[in-house]
Amino acid sequence: MNEMHPDSDAGTDDHADPTVDFQTLEEAAVEYPLDVERPHDVSDDYTLTELLAVTAAHEIGNGETAFIGVGMSLISGVLAKHTRAPDCQIVTESGYVGSRPPGVVQSISDSVLGVDALVATDQMQIFMDNQRGLFDVGIIGAGQIDKYGNTNSTAVIGDGTYDHPKVRLPGSGGSNDIMTSCGRTVVMMRQKRRAFTTELDYMTAPGYLDGPGDREAAGFTGGGPNAVITDMGVFRFDENTKEMYLSQTHPGVDVDDVREAVQWDLDVASEVTTTPEPTRGEVAMLRAIDPTDIVLRGSDYVYEVDFEEWTEQVHDHWQQLMELTE
Amino acid sequence: MTHAPDKTTTLDAAIDEYVPDGSRIAFGGMGGRDPEAAAREIIRQERTGLHVVDDARTTLFDMLVGAGCVDTYVGSWVGTSLISQGHNIRNAVENDVPHHLEMRDVSNFGSSLMFFAAAMDVPFIPTRSMTATDIPTHNDALETVADPFGSGDEFTAVPAADLDVAVIHVQRCDRRGNAQIFGNAVNDHLKARAADHVVITCEELVSTDVIQEAPETTRIPFYCVDAVAEVPFGSHPWHCYGHYYADLPFYREYGLLSRDREDFLDWLDEWIIPHDEYLEKIGADRLARLEELETTINGGRGRVRADGDDGFADENDDSADEEVRA
Repeated sequence: MNEMHPDSDAGTDDHADPTVDFQTLEEAAVEYPLDVERPHDVSDDYTLTELLAVTAAHEIGNGETAFIGVGMSLISGVLAKHTRAPDCQIVTESGYVGSRPPGVVQSISDSVLGVDALVATDQMQIFMDNQRGLFDVGIIGAGQIDKYGNTNSTAVIGDGTYDHPKVRLPGSGGSNDIMTSCGRTVVMMRQKRRAFTTELDYMTAPGYLDGPGDREAAGFTGGGPNAVITDMGVFRFDENTKEMYLSQTHPGVDVDDVREAVQWDLDVASEVTTTPEPTRGEVAMLRAIDPTDIVLRGSDYVYEVDFEEWTEQVHDHWQQLMELTE
Repeated sequence: MTHAPDKTTTLDAAIDEYVPDGSRIAFGGMGGRDPEAAAREIIRQERTGLHVVDDARTTLFDMLVGAGCVDTYVGSWVGTSLISQGHNIRNAVENDVPHHLEMRDVSNFGSSLMFFAAAMDVPFIPTRSMTATDIPTHNDALETVADPFGSGDEFTAVPAADLDVAVIHVQRCDRRGNAQIFGNAVNDHLKARAADHVVITCEELVSTDVIQEAPETTRIPFYCVDAVAEVPFGSHPWHCYGHYYADLPFYREYGLLSRDREDFLDWLDEWIIPHDEYLEKIGADRLARLEELETTINGGRGRVRADGDDGFADENDDSADEEVRA
């Protein structure tokens, strides 16, 4: 394992991590395209969302193919490509490979994905390649997760039924396919007790199913969930029991608070580490990717300005990032 | 399907002929190059009882559901994008407003495969995706099958999509129906082969000579196509790669108004109008601006009528006005 990887010391004697053999550049070797003073120093004004984006970016190895969707996961992928994993390539399910989008990707066929793309193909081809095992790491989101990393993004059924659920969620999208066949999968979620559940309302995407050996018995080629990143910390899966355990907490988060936000009796690494804080370079890069805070702060002010001003802003931000990355 | 040398018609005539009440229908694009104008025409002609058999669907589907056109959906994901949820979809599934929407889930690969099976006229295609999860549990059309060749692995058999019609928007097409797609193709080449009838709407109706200049982009050949309608800005408010960027402020407005039933009905009254009136209402300047934005990132690729100038770089260039045929 790369010694610069944030979890390098998370594997303790009581938890064997599933094999993670990807490597990223060491921070000191990262060449930031932006002009930032002391880029490798820790940032003193990062937000929680920025910490999550950076933490997810560190899960993408240099030279890997990263299968990702819109929003936060794409921002993490673009960040990885501009920082510790300059040779990674982004794969999106609508058919683009290798894109360097010069801004926030709003939808899965957003034409910014056409920028610098190496491949513009179709969805069938992308998922054939995925099932063939050609993609190294996927990033997905979910509404619920259980201790074996099985996820629900279809419906919160509550007192209702599948046909009349309490909350209809968007559905699998590519999450089932990625969890089934991608090399390894990173799940990004909000940490809530009702979401970290002992009983999923619906299993959309397969983690380790009911435990050790189940994925192999089902014939899955992908490695399954490898990390779960939440607003409180990062979870890994024990190689033997396949159960999720708390590997690291974000700065200022107490292990007991995390236990409270999980329905089952949470397993915890004997030495829980603290998530490395983003560097000044990483934060500056993130803000260049999302200058109007659409993803980073959930802002939509950019759409409230008049149409003319909106187009000027979008155009200027694209120009800025395209020039930086030339 | 015919081999007629001229399949051109108008949007309203194509929808009138090929999308009767109760049609089993799929739409092209996916949060980019979606046939939005065709969907608005379906609402304008007050279609009911549609069965949408599709992949991930965004605003177009939300609008059709809110307008009461759709009874059932088989597909992989519903929502809109980063800046809005699918409010009408949730209202129909959870609260039966305006009436119940029956959802049957598949994964993204599952949706590609149901078109692929139909396109090659076999009853099903096996995949590792969806196996051992709740997706087949709640979708009776999916079957779990053992490998007949004895590997011991189980697969999910995805049935062929049974489609009456596919409505697909492309950048350019000739009178015979040779439809060329620039950028990603999503599942459109498969949908065109899966459906009994195919309606193509295109940004530009071009001569066959133009098609012959780039035959590798003819993802949908004439022998699949029944009707061709030239519909400039037929994907607005979404992007059409090489032609125009998404009108995100327009789209955000839709997202805000669709949260409330009365507001949404007012939105329908305002915007469900013949396409030429719709474009006039949006305004030629605004449409030209969206073209300029797209030119900044993808250089007018696949566009015949435009000169590819980026209107932002040269403010005194008024050629953009000539590009718009509202």
